[in-house]
Amino acid sequence: MLTEELLVAQLKTEATQSRAFELLVNTYKEKLYWHIRRIVLDHDDADDVLQNTFIKVFRNISSFKGDSKLYSWMYRIATNEALTFIKDKTRKLGISDSELQDKMIRELQADVYFEGDHIQLALQKAILTLPEKQKLVFQMKYYQELKYEEISEILETSVGALKASYHLAAKKIEAFLKEN
Amino acid sequence: MKKISNSFRTPDGYFDSFTDKLTERLSKEETITVANDGFKVPDGYFDSLTSKIQEKLIAAEPVKVIGLHSYKKYYYAVAAMAAVVVLFFGLKITSSPVLSFDDIANADLESYFDNNELGLSSYEIAEVIPVDELEIKDIIENHLDNELIIEYLNNSIDNFEELNLDTNE
Repeated sequence: MLTEELLVAQLKTEATQSRAFELLVNTYKEKLYWHIRRIVLDHDDADDVLQNTFIKVFRNISSFKGDSKLYSWMYRIATNEALTFIKDKTRKLGISDSELQDKMIRELQADVYFEGDHIQLALQKAILTLPEKQKLVFQMKYYQELKYEEISEILETSVGALKASYHLAAKKIEAFLKEN
Repeated sequence: MKKISNSFRTPDGYFDSFTDKLTERLSKEETITVANDGFKVPDGYFDSLTSKIQEKLIAAEPVKVIGLHSYKKYYYAVAAMAAVVVLFFGLKITSSPVLSFDDIANADLESYFDNNELGLSSYEIAEVIPVDELEIKDIIENHLDNELIIEYLNNSIDNFEELNLDTNE
């Protein structure tokens, strides 16, 4: 098993870069995909964002200082790319955040790559209404089962604040599901 | 030590059917699994993803070697233009080495007089400047409209005859 330090060194060396990058993509593509997918919901959008994420990782690997784990750094890039994608969509369509949320849920319902039942759809709707940080923390904790320490490194937020965010998110989701 | 008998009892066959009953109950409950939660991906998506990304990276790389053939004519054109410019300025410099007073722009002269104290008396200036040939417009830029002049005169002059308009004084 290649250590992270060795992988980073190989990624920064032209002679070994290509093979190291292939290994990097194969190792992290699914984890990053699902993280992105839960933010953008649509598969094609997730595919675009995921590819852009890896390209950004490749182009900026020389600036990776190693002060965080490689995975945390990539995860952070993926998060920012996905959130920027959503914001750009709002801007291009000239609609509000809540209008975009409604649109995304309608599209999810009709999406061939979503087979969730009405409760799962309601859950996605509830998650969409959460503030950005709470949404991210909830998804990373609940679906991806990341540890608070890992989430803290990715989102650069204290563990205490993350726990509070998760608790608030769970309460809001519960209330939303009861009302709807 | 004597075993103390259990005073609690259970229905007949309780433990025998417990597992089946629990399994049935779990399948009926609408539980949200932590797995993909309804989200699916196209078949083989992840299998082909790595090669797709690598192809995209190769396509996005800048072309390092650029053929010069098509640019030759442009290089010749630029070189010819540069030669013309050099020749032009070279000839200009060699043909007019001596400057005269007429080469100085009026704006430069005005600027010189505005910014430098001449130290000349009015008599000395009058000796140099031909006063007889001077007109008011040579000294002051006339922005006055004729209408304005007439209005001023109307307001200021009580007796027009004093103006001696018949003569050009």
